Amino acid sequence: MNTNNKIAWTHLTSKVQQLVVAVLSVMFGISMYIFMNGFVGGINTAFDDITFSTMAHIRVYNDMPNDEPSLISHTTNDTIQFIHNARHIKYTEGIKNAQEIIQIAKGFAQVTAVTEQINQNVFFQNGITKVSGNLSGIDVENEDKMFGTSKYMLKGHIYDLEKRNDGIVLGSGLAQSICVNVGDNVTLMTADGTKKSFKVLGIFESGASATDKSKAMISIRSARQLFSKNASYASDIQINVKDYNKAEVVSGKMAKIVPYKVESWKEGNSQLESSSTLRNILAMVISAAILTVAGFGIYNIMNMTVNEKMREIAILKAMGFNGKDIVHIFLLQSLCIGVIGGIAGMGLGSLIIYIVRQIPYKIASFTSLPVAFRLVDYIMAFFFGLIVTIIAGYLPARKASRVDPVEILRG
Amino acid sequence: MKKVLSVNNIVKSFHQPEDFQVLKGVDFDVEKGEFVSIIGKSGSGKSTLLYILSTMDTDYNGSITINDSNVTGVKQNKLAAFRNEHIGFVFQFHFLLPEFSVIDNVMLPALKWGKKPKDIVRERALELLKMLDVAGQEEKKASLLSGGQQQRVAIARALINEPTIIMGDEPTGNLDSKNTKNVFRIFRELSREQGQTIITVTHDNDFANNCDRVIELKDGQIVSQ
Repeated sequence: MNTNNKIAWTHLTSKVQQLVVAVLSVMFGISMYIFMNGFVGGINTAFDDITFSTMAHIRVYNDMPNDEPSLISHTTNDTIQFIHNARHIKYTEGIKNAQEIIQIAKGFAQVTAVTEQINQNVFFQNGITKVSGNLSGIDVENEDKMFGTSKYMLKGHIYDLEKRNDGIVLGSGLAQSICVNVGDNVTLMTADGTKKSFKVLGIFESGASATDKSKAMISIRSARQLFSKNASYASDIQINVKDYNKAEVVSGKMAKIVPYKVESWKEGNSQLESSSTLRNILAMVISAAILTVAGFGIYNIMNMTVNEKMREIAILKAMGFNGKDIVHIFLLQSLCIGVIGGIAGMGLGSLIIYIVRQIPYKIASFTSLPVAFRLVDYIMAFFFGLIVTIIAGYLPARKASRVDPVEILRG
Repeated sequence: MKKVLSVNNIVKSFHQPEDFQVLKGVDFDVEKGEFVSIIGKSGSGKSTLLYILSTMDTDYNGSITINDSNVTGVKQNKLAAFRNEHIGFVFQFHFLLPEFSVIDNVMLPALKWGKKPKDIVRERALELLKMLDVAGQEEKKASLLSGGQQQRVAIARALINEPTIIMGDEPTGNLDSKNTKNVFRIFRELSREQGQTIITVTHDNDFANNCDRVIELKDGQIVSQ
């Protein structure tokens, strides 16, 4: 063993208690870094899960024209325009040729799932209770593939909708407010005044309470019948892609081919993205603060060690050790503390994540607190931990290297 | 005889708390194998002179040549390597590294030098400890030895690299009379039998009177040598 390393090692092992305290402070910092980032990562995943349980990455629909063309285009300064009760006269509503659009969407390599829907506002009636809500006519198989609808079923099965034309599945809050349960009947009333009775086949709960209080699903065939639409009619086509962060790239390309409005999820929901960014920043700030505190711990202990060993440093210098040797000796001690603490911290971090994952908490499709195990958190924690250790260890080491042996030895 | 140390017109001033000239032009030479004592009252500048000779204090005017190499104006890192090879130290308070074993303390300067393999260094260290009558203690921690034993271990450490000069800063200042005699006898033998050059600063007149040569300092100047 190199002489400097031997001295560093002897210093480290002769004060076990100090070593343990220093290692613990690093260990705690690293484990908290891993845990905080894993926790926030887990929360973000859970939020994405909730978000995308009802919302697709890309939605295709028939948009209202949002600018009104001027009805009288040529005016002179001495003309006054009077236009009363201007209104849209729309000849096409929804998407008439849904199959064609679905085929186009499936042609994109990044697209993972496509489903068609008919979404309309209707009244749900049971006796004298009348509640307005959203009715979704769904293509059951593709809907389940895209949103995992069957995971959210409290009672009954979503696939039963395919077996009965008059079946309906209600959100838990909606079922409660109109007092129905599985097996009961509920009457739907459309905006056109059509009434039809449906049998409740199941109840779902997505976790987003606004949805649970207002949404009901029937099969898309029944919906076409109810709203008297043709066999390829849909009001929305929902598309999922491989990486939802790149949805707008795909939607941009698709918009050029499809004659309807193509909208990526970010366009209408920028708050979702910014809140996940904010959570990430928060986690970074907290873990950086913890690591800094750990750094001060190392700094303090190394500083104490240097102060205690002034005489030894002087004697080493008298014997022929130069400033670099002294920095080597003391920096190596900090590095050892950092590496041991880092490895222990990764162990403790994993343990904390494991324990927190056992805490029951119902959110989205999770039954306990969501914490992510991510390799990148471990690498970053170790990397930052080492940087903090090196800085915290270098300052006392530099101080040690600048000790003037004459001053110390002469007393 | 060969000249191992040559000191030319050393002037040294302190600036704190006020300007004060401690050494006012000191000149002398030391030959190989000489056992020299530097004496003088406290404040005469004898310790200051020793630390300048040791190359640890570089803030002075004048020039010093040790073993034919000029050490004045050389960079600290080079001087550290020079000390390692050419100068052995024995201090008033033994100054061993308390957490290291006796044998490790003795071996440290040689391991730092790295010129000889470890087992040969170890053999030599054991030989020195035996010669200085502290054999059998080598695996003990240095802090567990008595003062006299620690000082002899320190002498062994000073000798391990076969230095050009051994420098002692009141090497017996902290020892009882029996151990003082012991340390003196060791120095005497080293100088006479092995031709080891030794320069010590001392308060002890008995010690000084038995040396080959006494340099007396008064108010920063040599009054007799």
